[in-house]
Amino acid sequence: MDLKWKDAFVTLGPSLLQGVVVVLQATFFGFILATIIGLLVAICRLSKHKPLRAIFVVLVEIIRGTPLLVQLFYIYYVIPILLDGLLKALGSGSANIQFSALSAGIAGLAINYGAYISEVFRSAILTIDTGQKESGLALGFTEQQVLRKIIIPQALRNSIPVLGNYLVMMIKDTSLLAVISVSELLLRTQTYASQTFETVESYTMLAVVYLILSLPLSHLMKMIENKFHIVR
Amino acid sequence: MIEPEENMLSITQLSKYYGKNHVLKDVNLSLNKGEVLCIIGPSGSGKSTFLRCINLLEQPTSGAISYRGKNILDKSLNVSSYRQHVGMVFQGYYLFPFKNVINNITMAPMTLLKENREDAEKEASQLLEKVGMAEKKLVYPASLSGGQKQRVAIARALAMHPDLLLFDEPTSALDPELVGEVLKVMKKLADEGMTMIVVTHEMGFAKEVANRVIFMEGGYIVEEGSPKDIFQHPQNDRTKEFLARFIN
Ligand SMILES: Nc1ncnc2c1ncn2[C@@H]1O[C@H](COP(=O)(O)OP(=O)(O)OP(=O)(O)O)[C@@H](O)[C@H]1O
Ligand SMILES: [Mg+2]
Repeated sequence: MDLKWKDAFVTLGPSLLQGVVVVLQATFFGFILATIIGLLVAICRLSKHKPLRAIFVVLVEIIRGTPLLVQLFYIYYVIPILLDGLLKALGSGSANIQFSALSAGIAGLAINYGAYISEVFRSAILTIDTGQKESGLALGFTEQQVLRKIIIPQALRNSIPVLGNYLVMMIKDTSLLAVISVSELLLRTQTYASQTFETVESYTMLAVVYLILSLPLSHLMKMIENKFHIVR
Repeated sequence: MIEPEENMLSITQLSKYYGKNHVLKDVNLSLNKGEVLCIIGPSGSGKSTFLRCINLLEQPTSGAISYRGKNILDKSLNVSSYRQHVGMVFQGYYLFPFKNVINNITMAPMTLLKENREDAEKEASQLLEKVGMAEKKLVYPASLSGGQKQRVAIARALAMHPDLLLFDEPTSALDPELVGEVLKVMKKLADEGMTMIVVTHEMGFAKEVANRVIFMEGGYIVEEGSPKDIFQHPQNDRTKEFLARFIN
């Protein structure tokens, strides 16, 4: 076997570096949005309003029951067509809507992870001792204030370890964005490998880059987790 | 000079069901400002439920509660602003674990009474002084003993300037050697004229500090009187039987 490590490193390397930027962008925005979506959905699912709860139960089940891959296709290819049709039906002519691949990817990650994270928050909120709520109410806080200022801060802290796992998972799941032509790491590697036939070199480099991205993050998460354990 | 007695709380024919379980039955009570009322009774007799009805953590099934002449069961009552006047101390302390001691205390007055941080912290420091916790200002609840947590919880309740303080077995979760420090704080409050209702198994405290003692059983107030009446000359057989368990 004649492996051209140097070739691969010199040519694919810089391209992967650009891919890393894309991955970090997708993960950063995807994760922040997922956390916000997760929290809002969790709150809606715990609301006293029954129809609201029901809607979000169904939505979460739909998301959790379908693969992220399919959701990405759906957002990138199907939604624009549907929106287009809707606009036409409303009589405002064809608008030719198209999201960029990256924003569709970020939306997919945010919605998919948001559904899972909402379950994390929901159970974290439910496991806070009811005494916390009652002592807040007894001081004169309203139910809303108790939720916002007493329950949610604790639920968020308790969720940090699980959120950390999801963050690392999301970094790796950005590789799925290749299917909607986001030029992240996998797509760049595939392209390079198919042109040069440096298959071993390319995919080994790809794996190493993912390791370099996710390992320090895992460690960082452990450290944060330990810190919060001490405070609790 | 004798001050005219000011009625703080007046409860008539209070009844509470949990489903089919009738836990409070025709409970009547009148409490004046400055009074310290101790409630004793066996487990499951409805003491906690009674206390929780007073600050509306539980909704009574029927009956009337008026606080300073105002009907608090009125649908239009702003429940949370009523609760600001009635503090409660729980058996389980329930300090906010993500806030240090001083922020546990300042949170409610800053949010609800719109006190600025400086004033709120100054007052919190005075309250911590009062409950003997001045050195622990910046510490998180997790590193406090049960007795210390409960004293902070009392300071937290006091920071809202309540007119009435409810205590639900404040020392029952504590190791015996820590009970005294909490009772001492409560006695100090009583001496300063705080109006208090205390559910307790600490008969010594009830004897020494209460103006009035209520014995509850099976959802009824079985007997009511001065500590001397209840502890030295109990009339009801159930009361006698209950108290016999505490004589040692
Ligand atoms: N949230 C609730 N739902 C249903 N039943 C309840 C609830 N809270 C209390 N009960 C029942 O009401 C009765 C009175 O309970 P309560 O807690 O008021 O008694 P207690 O006198 O405070 O007892 P203890 O000394 O054990 O604290 C008990 O039979 C209890 O099982
Ligand atoms: Mg009780």
